[in-house]
Amino acid sequence: MNEELELKLQAWVDGELSGAEAERMAALASGQSEAGQLVAELREVKMAMMGADIPRSVPESREFFWSKIEGQIQSETQRAPVSKPGLMARWRRFLMPLAGLAAASCVALFTLTHPKPVTNDEFTSTDEAMDTTTFHDQSSGLTVVWLQDNDAARPTSVRPEQSDDMTVTD
Amino acid sequence: MQLTRPFSLFYLVFLAACPAWASDLTVQAQLVWGANDSQNASYAPVDTGLSAKLHRIYKWNNYFEITNEVKSIPLNESRNFKMSDRCVLKVKNLGDSRIEVSCIGQGKEVSKGSHTLAPAKWLVLGGNAKNDTAWFVGLKAVDPSLAKRQ
Repeated sequence: MNEELELKLQAWVDGELSGAEAERMAALASGQSEAGQLVAELREVKMAMMGADIPRSVPESREFFWSKIEGQIQSETQRAPVSKPGLMARWRRFLMPLAGLAAASCVALFTLTHPKPVTNDEFTSTDEAMDTTTFHDQSSGLTVVWLQDNDAARPTSVRPEQSDDMTVTD
Repeated sequence: MQLTRPFSLFYLVFLAACPAWASDLTVQAQLVWGANDSQNASYAPVDTGLSAKLHRIYKWNNYFEITNEVKSIPLNESRNFKMSDRCVLKVKNLGDSRIEVSCIGQGKEVSKGSHTLAPAKWLVLGGNAKNDTAWFVGLKAVDPSLAKRQ
């Protein structure tokens, strides 16, 4: 006897089958076959279990339960009154956006009134007798503007081994 | 925590306004004499920072400090740095660490230009002098406290 048949016999014993299926199970259980023995065992177990369950009953009605919940909700609502916002909190509502607006205005005002100047570094002679030469030594962070008399001979002031990263703008 | 939020916004406003107050530029100007002769005991050697930079480029063995002036220059204003009886530098604060420098020799402007005085960077004006010597004027942005000490 397979498991499926066992389950069907159990369903029949529990009264869950009807029609042709129930008749077939009844025919199987009537004989002295294996199915008949199983049905007998199932009926014995069923009889033994009957009345073994402890009766459970709801002590209070559904309406009584709801009335308790409702009463709890009402008491909590009365216990927590709506708190009024304090003076500081009310001021903060206005001050915070105002402060942000003021900060943004300051930044915008400062940016608009102080445009970035042109950053061309240039020295020019304003005297016809003078000539200017500008050195930029990037590695030492030095800029030299050399002023030279046009009439005088070019000096030999600069070291011949001066750095390679020095550029000259004339 | 909630209380600190409005104060942090006020702090932002304060920071935004700060650059307007901090637009003064303090400039140090040094007149330096470059010479090979080391017998000029009346002058002190220039500080090693500028001296090393000049040694890197120029041939002179010694660099002596003749004048040292530190002045605070408000935004869009000029200050005169009297380097010697014959040389005056007129320095104008253009803002954003930029300056306009006019070199005035014997009352006559001989050169003019603008430059950004980045921190720790030097702007040096120089020229030949008598007896194979040279003059230099080093300009540098310095801490405002140096101007108060002078």
